[in-house]
Amino acid sequence: MSEVKEDKLGTLKTRLEEIRVSLLNSQLAEGPTEFGKVSTLHYGRWVILSRDSFRDEPAIPVGIRLALSTNYDGVGNDHEDYHLTELVTKLTKYIDDLYECCVGYPEPGERTEDSRKNFLKKGMIRTSAFYIGAPGRSVSQIHQEDALHQHIWKFLQNNKWDENTPAVEIHRAIRQEIDSKPEFAWSKEKAGVQGIKWGPLIAYGLLFIVMLPLIIVWLIYLFFFHELWDKKVTLAQSELNDAKINELKKVEDIFPQNQFTQVAVLKPGFARKLNFRIWMLRTKVLAGDVFVKGKLLNIPTIHFARWVLIDNNKHVLFYSNFDGNWEQYLGDFIDQSGWGLTAIFSNTVKFPRTNFMGVLGIIPGMPLTFPGTKFVLTGGAYDEEHFLAWSRSTQVPTQVWYCPYRHLSIKNINNNTEIRNELRHDLNEKQAKLFLKRF
Amino acid sequence: MTALELSEIQSFLLNDYKEMSCSKYYLMQVKDAVAAKSFLAAIAHGITHANATSGDTSLNIGFTSNGLKQLGYHETNMHSFSREFREGMVTAHRQRLLGDFESSNPSIWQWGGPANDRVDLMLLVFGKDEATVENFYKELKQKFEPGLSVVHTLDGRTLPNDREHFGFRDSISQPVIKGSGVKASGNNNDIDPGEFVLGYKNEYTVYPDTALLKVAQGKPELLADNAEGLADEQTKVKYKDVGRNGTYFVLRQLQQDVNGFWEFLKKQSTEADENNRNEDATLLAAKMMGRWPGGAPLVKYDKNPGKDVEENDFNYLKEDASGNKCPFGAHTRRMNPRDVFEESPPKVSLNLTRRHRIMRRVRSYGEDFIGSAENHQPNGEVGLLFGCFNANISKQFEFLQYTWANSPKFKRLYADPDPFIGVREDPEKKMEQIFTMPGETTNRVITNLQRFVHVKGGAYFFFPSITSIKFLATI
Repeated sequence: MSEVKEDKLGTLKTRLEEIRVSLLNSQLAEGPTEFGKVSTLHYGRWVILSRDSFRDEPAIPVGIRLALSTNYDGVGNDHEDYHLTELVTKLTKYIDDLYECCVGYPEPGERTEDSRKNFLKKGMIRTSAFYIGAPGRSVSQIHQEDALHQHIWKFLQNNKWDENTPAVEIHRAIRQEIDSKPEFAWSKEKAGVQGIKWGPLIAYGLLFIVMLPLIIVWLIYLFFFHELWDKKVTLAQSELNDAKINELKKVEDIFPQNQFTQVAVLKPGFARKLNFRIWMLRTKVLAGDVFVKGKLLNIPTIHFARWVLIDNNKHVLFYSNFDGNWEQYLGDFIDQSGWGLTAIFSNTVKFPRTNFMGVLGIIPGMPLTFPGTKFVLTGGAYDEEHFLAWSRSTQVPTQVWYCPYRHLSIKNINNNTEIRNELRHDLNEKQAKLFLKRF
Repeated sequence: MTALELSEIQSFLLNDYKEMSCSKYYLMQVKDAVAAKSFLAAIAHGITHANATSGDTSLNIGFTSNGLKQLGYHETNMHSFSREFREGMVTAHRQRLLGDFESSNPSIWQWGGPANDRVDLMLLVFGKDEATVENFYKELKQKFEPGLSVVHTLDGRTLPNDREHFGFRDSISQPVIKGSGVKASGNNNDIDPGEFVLGYKNEYTVYPDTALLKVAQGKPELLADNAEGLADEQTKVKYKDVGRNGTYFVLRQLQQDVNGFWEFLKKQSTEADENNRNEDATLLAAKMMGRWPGGAPLVKYDKNPGKDVEENDFNYLKEDASGNKCPFGAHTRRMNPRDVFEESPPKVSLNLTRRHRIMRRVRSYGEDFIGSAENHQPNGEVGLLFGCFNANISKQFEFLQYTWANSPKFKRLYADPDPFIGVREDPEKKMEQIFTMPGETTNRVITNLQRFVHVKGGAYFFFPSITSIKFLATI
């Protein structure tokens, strides 16, 4: 995150818009893009973050900032350094054009690989929690496995098998076909797929059981001494600012994937901050060890998501890259993990008031219904209309957004890896039938 | 269970009037706001409500956001209507959501598009026959004439046995609104009223966004307070609710290329014998729809029963988890995923499905023609006047169209748009459009899907309660 020179804001906006338009045009024409030169880049975005980005009064005064966020493959011994080098050497013009509008960027004569990298490093902020929909898959692997899927799909189209041909035989024929193509030699090596790490999960579960009385006391305290006293929020979607909504919609639903950037202000006081930290820690642990099969809190459409505390930990930034459109994404959030969201975001100001903290949500997979009753937790994200209005109104326009595989859903990406691995296994008839269902 | 105030709700929401063979929708423009409002005052009691005994004719009325503006609806009050309704069906973003490109581009619509006459409101007249409707309309015309003028008329027909032009039986799986007095249907079709009527709780057990009167105008004393109890922050006076007992209506004129549809399917078949080819084409059509032409669900009937079957009591998880019977990409499986909503467990799936339902109200137009593999060349343009009621256009109609129909990434699919309403004529480069039919071992795939349904017009309407119509006459 870099401080923007106030008199350069106009220039910066123009340049960002130029990058956005030229990127979009190249993508629509299926041509190469500047970002494509950074072969390890999954997603990247630039967002201008200023007082205007905040719906609510910021907890501390904020200037105008340019935020850059990337999802990249870890290469080399020092992942971060390798990535920064790629950014400043391959996107040099973009970096120079944008960051010369920022305070402290090296003067033209002093711009070197190192001075550029050092500038970006200075503004770096650690992520509080991070989720990956297809852990371990590099950009090139995603492209390779996509090509493999397409090739097998065509092979299946071009060859007709008798109804009675066993699936194992077709599976074998596919393997022979792939083995005969040198361009798929890489597929002989099994792709690593991260499994659920039971150790940390069990440790987490035990810790939870031990801490349960304390947690209950904590939640009751939070509910009766904090949540109950917060003002009820009744902002509806119809009341939102038209100009802002239109700015957001202008760049939405052009491709099957979309992005979401949000900034919210944490509620004041130690209790809220601590509660937020607890939930961040929980999300961090579970995202790294448990949510490794393409679903974040049961939501099956997210490629990458991250939470970052900024401004002396007073504000929280949320970024995500997802399949489908906004309405579907936010609907999924309510339907699949309203409790998880409520637990995190109820610590931010003017979030729809909850009627009970999401106590049961701490146990992953624990059902939230008791027989014959409605949700234990109501309000918060379950207050559908007001929650959607909260989400839209705290969303921040994203100036530039890049993804190299926008035609693949996260389910496609994970399915493609399964195809690659199952191709090499000796499957029984039942397994082979399931394998063929993947196409 | 909250009982609906049936005498307040316009009848078309609860009665599909399929027994009335003639339906005419008059799209109108406000010429003189004062005269238009006296017309509203005069006919408010003549608008058919859901509690009325049915006669030879029925009359309903819907307003576009333009129409409310023309009548003098205050801008601040306008702002409490849903964004979708306020913006209307034609915006750059909505064009992407609904997939209205190429032959469906609003710029070449017959009505409702930017090049067409502005549509302010719509009168819907249902009658047992053409003459009855015409006579009724003549009387109406004398009353509305100085204030309103007709810019376009849509002629709706009910084809025999509820069929539509491609040849399928229509509207088998309809939701039933709880508290409406309509017999519960079971099988997950009984839906909370707030999904269809403003002022009641929806499937999230919250009130849908409704049209509050934030600035006094007309005679607010006619209106009830809003059910949620929202009040002005300073005065603590509760807002009056113009939306209460009202609903939103989506109308789209969908031209159907019946000949193109059946010719395309017959071309997919490799059968030499014509009878076998027709049979195969009918199978493909059924796979795309999820039901045989007579309505029999594929999940329960793997062979064409050759007769009308209205069966609706089935789910997907136990019966057809693999999609071997009914493909995942089939129209009816997409539009009502029942107990397989993404990968959620069945009970959760059923809950989630209930949050995305619409009340279909469709008519056919053009020749009374029911297509089949054997006979598929109608005279002149034929199509469907697709209509549906919903309380939240974004969560219901638009969600169905974008997320479930247009998105080729639906569920685990790669490149399968809805074969009836989701195919693009000029897809983005590299984007293949296919229809996958899972099989016992290998899948059967139709490639290079073509579009056989073309949007020719459309608009979003607000159907106010009887009381709110009276109120609108006073603004």
